[in-house]
Amino acid sequence: MSKRQLAMVMDLNKCIGCQTCTVACKTQWTNRNGREYMYWNNVETYPGTGYPKNWMELGGGFDESGDLQAGVVPNIEADYGVPWDYNHDQLQFGAQLKPDVEPTWGPNWDEDEGAGDFPNDNYFFYIPRICNHCSNPGCLSACPRDAIFKRDQDGVVLVDLDRCQGYRYCIAGCPYKKIYFNPKISKSEKCILCFPRIEKGLPPACAQQCVGRIRFVGFLDDEEGQVHKLVHKYKVALPLRSDYGTQPNVYYVPPTEAPPKFDAEGRVIEGSNRVPMEELELLFGPQVHDAMKTLRAEMKKRKETGKSELMDILIAYKHSDMFRLDQEYYQSIAKKEGLSLAPIDNRYMQGKNSPNKFKFKVVEYD
Amino acid sequence: MTKTTTALLATSLVASTLLADGVVLVQKTERDVTKLTPTSKAWEYVKATTIHLYPQTALVMNDKRANELNKNTKAKEARVKAIHDDKNIAFLLEWPDGTRSIQSGYKSDVYADGFAVQFPVNYKDPKKLPYIGMGSDGRPVVIHLQKAVEKIYEPNGNGDVSMQQNVLSKNAFGDSAVEFVQKVGALAVKDYQRSFVSEGFRSMTEIKDGSEKFDADMSYSDNVWRGTLTRPLKDSYLNLKGAFPVAFAVWDGARLNRDGQKLLSGWTAVKLVDSNGGEKLVAELTAAAKGDPEHGKELIEQNGCTGCHHISGLSAANYMAPGLDNVGGYSTSAYLRESLVDPNAVVVPGYNRNAHPSALWYNLDHGKRVSTMPPYPLDDKSLDDMVAYLKTLKSEVK
Repeated sequence: MSKRQLAMVMDLNKCIGCQTCTVACKTQWTNRNGREYMYWNNVETYPGTGYPKNWMELGGGFDESGDLQAGVVPNIEADYGVPWDYNHDQLQFGAQLKPDVEPTWGPNWDEDEGAGDFPNDNYFFYIPRICNHCSNPGCLSACPRDAIFKRDQDGVVLVDLDRCQGYRYCIAGCPYKKIYFNPKISKSEKCILCFPRIEKGLPPACAQQCVGRIRFVGFLDDEEGQVHKLVHKYKVALPLRSDYGTQPNVYYVPPTEAPPKFDAEGRVIEGSNRVPMEELELLFGPQVHDAMKTLRAEMKKRKETGKSELMDILIAYKHSDMFRLDQEYYQSIAKKEGLSLAPIDNRYMQGKNSPNKFKFKVVEYD
Repeated sequence: MTKTTTALLATSLVASTLLADGVVLVQKTERDVTKLTPTSKAWEYVKATTIHLYPQTALVMNDKRANELNKNTKAKEARVKAIHDDKNIAFLLEWPDGTRSIQSGYKSDVYADGFAVQFPVNYKDPKKLPYIGMGSDGRPVVIHLQKAVEKIYEPNGNGDVSMQQNVLSKNAFGDSAVEFVQKVGALAVKDYQRSFVSEGFRSMTEIKDGSEKFDADMSYSDNVWRGTLTRPLKDSYLNLKGAFPVAFAVWDGARLNRDGQKLLSGWTAVKLVDSNGGEKLVAELTAAAKGDPEHGKELIEQNGCTGCHHISGLSAANYMAPGLDNVGGYSTSAYLRESLVDPNAVVVPGYNRNAHPSALWYNLDHGKRVSTMPPYPLDDKSLDDMVAYLKTLKSEVK
């Protein structure tokens, strides 16, 4: 457990699946050097196969007694999809537009398909996913080299690329499959929660760019922060698949606002909801019932009285309220450690080996 | 008659410790051994020693597919040759592998064949050698690793993170852009050949400051890998003289081997023929177990060892303590005895404490590991018998 924990809340009622977050992340971090196939941030359609394909069935995480579960390392062609490009340069010479790799699979191959019978009860919603920066990370626990660490100052989970030997047990151990193998450097890489931005007081690129303004970022212990209020005060933001036992720190406001179903004659079935509760329960646990009750009650209250703190938060008026990143906090740490420059994460930038014959001290988590 | 002579001959040779079974004898040559490659003709003139490589079964790794593929892995027979030129020593390891696996291309789930050679930094006391699984606290090892991985980019191999950046983010144009890309290439592209220091597998750390000079190579033909390792007899990490222990490990990429999914030998005695000393070490590493394994097995059961340790046929799998199914293959008798009498002498790093929190192998006392296992200070005869039994625990050789 870290001293403080940074967390993100995503309001699924407002996600429109535009993939701006995906692109923000891709251009910032993963469009090069062996990371091309990785999506540290992806937005998948639920129900659907997700990314990588059927990730919920690939193992990892912990069982009830806390034992790390064995998992599977996905295959690039079959499960992630090999990124392809088009021969735009050749078009002016009369060539036909064609991809340079035969596309057989990719993220969002099944985008917007969803489930149910159109138009009566079909449904889908989007789930944007980044690394959950778990409090009990499966990847960290699986690493036999202590190459993965959780930062004390904010709980960001990072790979020490100097220590990583590319064994990929972390990928098997992460139930969300949000850590990836970089074949070019033969090491694992993952979402870094944009820590170089965060240390400068800026939110992660995916959150900053979100056009639906669905993402809130802040410290869980910051009681004035909207993240704290959504997660702890109103309890409307819930972790995804917390049954995996990793204690994830990305929280979701469940999709309450689906349209009603139609009957055989095409008439609205009053009081019905297209998104089956059992699906939401699978994703967000039994607390989803209370969360939805609170959301609806607050919505009603707002309609009737014009007042609801929760609704005001979810409307997401101001970035400055949505993102509470304490730059001074980071700077004070940098100062204490005698580092003049942000980013303050020495270990990620330098690795652990720099001094001669450095004897690595195994970090024991309790 | 022949049998008796052989037996007599064997006894006298063991006594002289020169040609004992399982000892790698190293002759001196006038030529430069650093020039040797896996396919050098010169190896034909070097005598081979047969060793056995056993599947690592102390820990269960968390890769489902790999675990299925390696469920019934058998031990392998390998051959070791070595020769030195006073400055450097060269090893040749030949091991059978029906599949040539190279880690290459844009793949996430392909693994390489490879081999490693491990040396203890200190081997004065042959009864207190480092733990075979990459050393132990206060008993460091140096490991050389060669894997059949295509040339890779090392992002901060030289501590030079700035070189990992995209050229587009470098404010470099035209010639300076080309120069940057070339610089990255020159800095980054490396053979997957590494040296490590380690005091237990979780502490294993790559030596990147160039202070450990070595060279390794691998070559595959006729279903056999041949790997060579050349390194100095003496440098700031190791001083190899007289006789010293060496251990070998091999990985089979086709079986998704990497890290702990591997086959490994026990400490094998290597004797420099023209260098004095090390008789005690050779004797220790080649001595046959002297106890009664049948009685040892009874003692193991009576003392409740299998409550925590997994032994096939005796106890169910769990995470509580190192699995013992191949402990006889890769552990020395001295280590087994020491572990019974003083479990704190070598505490196997085990799983990450988050991975199996209800089965902790050790507790922390002021940062020092204290084994969960209580000591078993039994009489000598009982300990001999238990060690004799533990030495029988190993997979059959394929």
